[in-house]
Amino acid sequence: MDEGHDLLERPISRERLLKLAAAAGGAGLIAGSAGVAGATRHALSAETGRLQVLDWVGYGYDGGQTMFAAYNKRYPQNKAQITVMTNEANALSKFQAGQKFDLFRPYIGWVKYFAQSGLVEPWDPKLIPNLKHLNPYMVKAGQYQGKQYGIPNDWGFDEILYRTDKVKPKSNSYALLFDERYKGKIAWFDDIEMPEIAGLLLGFKDTWNQTDAQLKKTQDFLTSKKHLVRLTWSSETEMQQAFAAGDIWISYAWPADYAAMKAKGLPVVYMRPKEKPIAWVGNFMLLKGTPRPELAHAYVDAWSSPKSGKWLEDNYYYGHANTLAHPSSSDLSRALQLNNPKAVVPPFANLDRDIPKRAQYEKLWEQVKAS
Amino acid sequence: MAVDSRAGELPRRKRQRPDLTAPSLLGLPLAWLAVFFFVPIAIVAAYSFDVLSFGTGTHAFTLRAWHDFLHGGVYLRLFWKSVKMSLIVSTIIVVLAYPLAYYLALSGTRRKYVLLLLLIAPFLTSYLLRVLAWKVILGDNGVLNSFFFWTGLRSPEHPFSQLLYSRFAVMLVLGYIWLPFVALPIFVSLESLDRRLLEAASDLGASRLYAFRRVTLPLSLPGIVAAFLFVFIPTIGEFVTPSLVGGANGYMYGNQVVDLFETGFPDWETGSVLAIFLLVVVALLTLVFSRFLQPKQVTAG
Repeated sequence: MDEGHDLLERPISRERLLKLAAAAGGAGLIAGSAGVAGATRHALSAETGRLQVLDWVGYGYDGGQTMFAAYNKRYPQNKAQITVMTNEANALSKFQAGQKFDLFRPYIGWVKYFAQSGLVEPWDPKLIPNLKHLNPYMVKAGQYQGKQYGIPNDWGFDEILYRTDKVKPKSNSYALLFDERYKGKIAWFDDIEMPEIAGLLLGFKDTWNQTDAQLKKTQDFLTSKKHLVRLTWSSETEMQQAFAAGDIWISYAWPADYAAMKAKGLPVVYMRPKEKPIAWVGNFMLLKGTPRPELAHAYVDAWSSPKSGKWLEDNYYYGHANTLAHPSSSDLSRALQLNNPKAVVPPFANLDRDIPKRAQYEKLWEQVKAS
Repeated sequence: MAVDSRAGELPRRKRQRPDLTAPSLLGLPLAWLAVFFFVPIAIVAAYSFDVLSFGTGTHAFTLRAWHDFLHGGVYLRLFWKSVKMSLIVSTIIVVLAYPLAYYLALSGTRRKYVLLLLLIAPFLTSYLLRVLAWKVILGDNGVLNSFFFWTGLRSPEHPFSQLLYSRFAVMLVLGYIWLPFVALPIFVSLESLDRRLLEAASDLGASRLYAFRRVTLPLSLPGIVAAFLFVFIPTIGEFVTPSLVGGANGYMYGNQVVDLFETGFPDWETGSVLAIFLLVVVALLTLVFSRFLQPKQVTAG
């Protein structure tokens, strides 16, 4: 059978082989190699233990359980056990500390890094029926060397949210985040996307791979504008509270923030910058050597369904890669440009991507914050 | 027999049993300190020299991160900024807490322990809750600014924006949080003051102010120093309060340490340098100030 072909190629220890044989009643093992294969397939469909998922806050039993309810219902003996990751580096440190997970969710800029790290293995697209409904541009972005390492899921844009009653932008540009007229009313995002945005604004050809001289210009630019910034947010809740309270009028934001502020009745615009917004996509990745690969595929398939997609959009206001999912909110639908499947790639947007000099970008950003 | 005679010549000694009281009492705390304090510090120090590394790449002993830290300037400036903020907070709340502790300890009020309990009552609620409550008070449309709008001191278009997400906000909230920690050591040192010394000063013609300056203040100095250190040391490395109310301007050294370890693509090497540097400075300060904390100076005798 083609199904599970990659899974069958995984080295199997003697102990595991005996377990598999036991699962098949022992007969298959005695019957010869064909019997071994049959027993193996049988056991893989009956993987044991709870599925170990490493995911972000809000994507476990703290609100996001609807997204994988179908999985838990189908595999009551192997319900997902969620551990929270605070960011990709935090996930990396957990792996290095020896913690075992079956799958986790880094964002698109990290797919290549993890694919090259040897920590993950590609998915078997045939085991994820909902994959065919996922945005093909996002699916392609999850590939590395022709293999599907990332299964896209939640997504959004990095754009600018501002109060229309307080702010009059000179143009639709990221420049609004650096506008001297609004000193003390601006919020930046606490991430290396700020150097990326600065690079776009400064007109660098490839803002994800800036030269040393360009990085110096970026750092000088951000440092010179830091006095305008009141808040450097790392949590959406923090930013939304400050925005709703009127403490900030302009912020780097995601579509969810726009929808949340609209829901509060604030006069806001979610501005699409002329530099083309950066788009981000969450990708499920399969940890190498997981003892529950089939369950992991089933879990990701549950997250990828149109029903889960709509729930995510309606409740978290993020986009979902399933093109059949449409949010109830027309504001969100417009912000995500759901009528255009190419909205996340050029010429409409810049899909976030691998940063070869990530450590240098991080250092730069930390020094901007410390300055 | 010769052997017997030699035995008979041996001085009579009382057989002594080794005293294991001190080792047994100190053993557990020392082991605790070793495992949960010295070993982790050694590990962090090893990261600072790249002997241990977060990444999977090659690594070996190097002073690179220390060199960058000492010559780069950015982190040292941030450290100095945090030191200044901590100094301001510690000094102001010691000055504010002293009269309070003085009143509680020396006024003779029968309700001093009730008042003391009231002072520490906010500590019965969550730390985060107390800090977050300040956002409601200090925001652009918060309680204080609303009051200013009402009085006409400011217009709603121009609120006092420096109240929140600023160094001021961090220092104000830190002062509020740490005030009881400052008042308590001062209260204890004043409470243990030998009142006969004040009576003697009065009998010898000293005014109350003179007696305070020559007797009360010097004898309560250990309490003042302890109180100062209680605030100054933890607030240099503070990161929770600045991350909640500090915004971009109130970012402190402690935030930088956390960020270097936690966010984005971690730089544990630099983060460890910052952490060890902070530890060394705090240890030196403690050594310098510890001479003011000697028990002999607490008593009047």
